[in-house]
Amino acid sequence: MDFKTVLKNKKNGDRIFAILLMLPALTIITIFIFIPIAKSVFLSFTDYKLANIASGVGHLWNNFSNYKAIFTEGDLWPAIRVTFTFMSMVVMLQLFLGLILSVVLNGSIKGKRFLRSIIMLPWVIPTVITALLWMWLFQPQYGVVNYLLLEANIISQPIAMLARPALALPSVAIAALWKQIPLMTLMLLAGLQTIPSEMYEAATIDGCNGIQLFFHITIPFLRNVIRTTVLMSIIENFKQFPLFWTMTGGGPMNSTTTLAILSYRNAFVNMNFGKGAAVATVWLCLLLVVAFVYNKVFTVNEME
Amino acid sequence: MKKTSILSYFFLGMILLFLLFPIYWMFVTSFKTNMQLYKIPPSWLPLSPTLGNYIELIKGKVFLTYYSNNFIVAFSASVMTTVVALLAGYSFSRFKVKGSNLILFGLLSTQMFPVIGRVIALYTVFKSMRLLNTRIGLAFALTAATLPFCTWLIKGFFDDIPKSIEEAANIDGCGRLMTLLRIIMPLTKSGLLAIGLYTFLLAWDDFLHCVTLITSDNLRTLSAGISMRYLGELSYDWALINTISVIGTVPMLLLFVFFQKYMVQGLTAGAVKA
Repeated sequence: MDFKTVLKNKKNGDRIFAILLMLPALTIITIFIFIPIAKSVFLSFTDYKLANIASGVGHLWNNFSNYKAIFTEGDLWPAIRVTFTFMSMVVMLQLFLGLILSVVLNGSIKGKRFLRSIIMLPWVIPTVITALLWMWLFQPQYGVVNYLLLEANIISQPIAMLARPALALPSVAIAALWKQIPLMTLMLLAGLQTIPSEMYEAATIDGCNGIQLFFHITIPFLRNVIRTTVLMSIIENFKQFPLFWTMTGGGPMNSTTTLAILSYRNAFVNMNFGKGAAVATVWLCLLLVVAFVYNKVFTVNEME
Repeated sequence: MKKTSILSYFFLGMILLFLLFPIYWMFVTSFKTNMQLYKIPPSWLPLSPTLGNYIELIKGKVFLTYYSNNFIVAFSASVMTTVVALLAGYSFSRFKVKGSNLILFGLLSTQMFPVIGRVIALYTVFKSMRLLNTRIGLAFALTAATLPFCTWLIKGFFDDIPKSIEEAANIDGCGRLMTLLRIIMPLTKSGLLAIGLYTFLLAWDDFLHCVTLITSDNLRTLSAGISMRYLGELSYDWALINTISVIGTVPMLLLFVFFQKYMVQGLTAGAVKA
């Protein structure tokens, strides 16, 4: 009898201890993430501008007029298009270049330990500083990129890459790629190192060439790593803000206005928090759909 | 075979140039005067290096304010995250309370939410909690932002420790908290270092939280301060901007050089397992 109560107490004690340990994390995340997100969705249905805060009127239900406004003003669809274009451009190029680089660095190359660590450097450069570096490189009169393009006779006159609607988005994408390729490569390399080398030896004996090895051994083995890293990259680029805000501010002619910029501009430049929140809510829904579809596609493939 | 290896060396060379030249160029530019910058063709080496930009930057005291704010905020966020994630990660790993997996999944899914949507409301939450315009408030917001991922990461480290260690400690009469602090925690040192560094890196990088939650200039952190003060509408002082970039980057470069083993290990362990 006595023994039983002790056992019961131990179990109860464990449970209380477990909950106590979780408590600080849950409190912080509830206050600073869950409540703000719920509140932001709520604000998107209200009239909430700087004037409301100043006069103390607070937020008033406004019969979906934030949503009506964003869907009819014509800024939303271009912003969605720009966001998706940017995201898919960066994710695909990043995966492609990261795969090649990781395979090269996993091969028999001199000094690969050193190379593996120096390619990581762009990853630790702060995002705003990344933006500044690339603005300087792209600078029309004195930037290195223009100088090299002129010398190579690819262009005849200096071009302001960040001021041309057609070139601004790819230019920001280059800066994003620069910062993100290292982490992608690192993750893929970690995945490559889990592939047993006997697999390659056996396949080579069976007469497989390099390209066959890549598609029949490397890719299948990497699928889980690719799945995780690509999802991380999709989310990261869907959310990208500091690069755009610093490099182009959404211009020229809204050609780099993503959902992030549109939402920020409405909320913090025009000080219409309700409308900014409405854009952010649409954006959150899109992100959920993308993540859901992405996971579905991967699970369907797995079953085949 | 020969052909593919030449090709791979060529690719490697190109991508190394792409990844490393901008960093080299940032350093070189910071040692030039604006006069030297505006020369065509550019000089690839700092022929007559000058420290003028650095001196000018340090004289303008406001930069040092941003810089020390960045240290204070990033350091507090990384200490808070490490402690809180340690406790929560241990709990998720060891005590399978009903619904704990669901809670962990819920926490992780918050990583997906757009930061801007969150800061709009966070602004009002901070206002009512009197946290607006405080460094500690900013540190809390950044802690919350990295906590889910760090908890998950450190849970993986606890999962690798055999349970028999705790059972032995228990028999020896060691209480639950003591077992965690005295016996288990020392075994996950590298994991704790990994999440601390990761948080520091992210907090150092923060722009959006600071821009929205801090309004007085002397409380701003680096990224926000740079973009508000040094980026003019029309002309840029490129020598000064590159100098700011160097000083803003150097702490991260040093951290990476000394601790890369931990930073890399922690992050890749997560990705390969999942």
